[in-house]
Amino acid sequence: VTGSAGRPDEGSRGSALYVYGIVRAGDEIGQFDAATQGVDASSPIALLREGELAAIVGEVPLADFGQDVVMERIRDPSWLEEKVRAHEAVLEAALPRAPLVPFRFGTIFANEEQVRRMLREHDHLRSTLDDLEGTFELGVKGFLEPERAAAEAAQPEQGEPASAGRSYLLRKQHDRRLAEARAELQMTLGTESHEVLAAAARDARANPLQRPEATGRSGDMFLNGAYLVEAARESEFREALAGLESRHGEAGATYELTGPWPPYNFVAAEGGL
Amino acid sequence: VSTPRSSGLPARLGGREPAQLADVLERVLDKGIVIAGDIQINLLDIELLTIKLRLLIASADKAKEMGIDWWQGDPFLAGRQLEDRIKRLESEAGIEPNGGSRREVQAEDERQR
Repeated sequence: VTGSAGRPDEGSRGSALYVYGIVRAGDEIGQFDAATQGVDASSPIALLREGELAAIVGEVPLADFGQDVVMERIRDPSWLEEKVRAHEAVLEAALPRAPLVPFRFGTIFANEEQVRRMLREHDHLRSTLDDLEGTFELGVKGFLEPERAAAEAAQPEQGEPASAGRSYLLRKQHDRRLAEARAELQMTLGTESHEVLAAAARDARANPLQRPEATGRSGDMFLNGAYLVEAARESEFREALAGLESRHGEAGATYELTGPWPPYNFVAAEGGL
Repeated sequence: VSTPRSSGLPARLGGREPAQLADVLERVLDKGIVIAGDIQINLLDIELLTIKLRLLIASADKAKEMGIDWWQGDPFLAGRQLEDRIKRLESEAGIEPNGGSRREVQAEDERQR
């Protein structure tokens, strides 16, 4: 890692250091191979050690990440997607080798000395890393299939043939009852599933549900959970999930497991220096 | 040279399939530790962007297939694309010198195929 060619407000020349995350300086995380491309594909990923911590860093050109430019760049969804995926890819390369504290996207320092200063100021992260040892984050998303949920709900009332007006009202009433039953089922499934999974994990977060446009699934999401799973209890967690699948599959519930992720959901936001 | 972790991290689930964009965005833009760097990326803007991207989804193409394209008229996301749209509209307008619409020209083309 070389230093920077200048202060970040010097315009678009020069470079700065992008920090992906922090590991313990003593962990043998080895070299990042050339195939691991960071947010700037031409700059290698390296470790910058200071005291007991090491920052995973890569140089970024100010032409893309300078103060004035980067706010423009992030408005381009395809640019942002590429950079966000690169950020994730670097952390995923480090993840199997050592516990790590993932940084939020876009943490950039003017030069090496500024990164070292940040590491000195956050030396308490050493204990966070120790706590994360032997754990990983898994994501579980729960979906409720629309047609099954509808079948679960109340059937329309049988009776003498109704007038057109009356049958319209009955249908309206039936639709409303269906929607209510479905909302209630989603709520119940979400709460129960999260409790069951949380009990098999060290820590848990229930995140806002994603819309169908974001999930690409026809069903409605009822759970968007993140779980800090202990490697020693991984089978317990998987059994808990399998239990939910078999208990609620009949009602149209399906679960999707993602990860392992860097523990994004389990590092407290610091809110600045 | 990598030293495998004794904790035994499971292999990425779902094999080589890339993670869903919504899941990655949610984590990389909304979670993770926040430490102030020297270059300030306005997180309020990022959060707004995340919400919009979350609505948007997997990919813009996919969204188009689903008939979702409202962001194209959104000044926040469209940004400089607006200029391109104006140019396109202008050039489309330029195709109808004698009142013949572009649609008719296209229909004519299709009939000849």
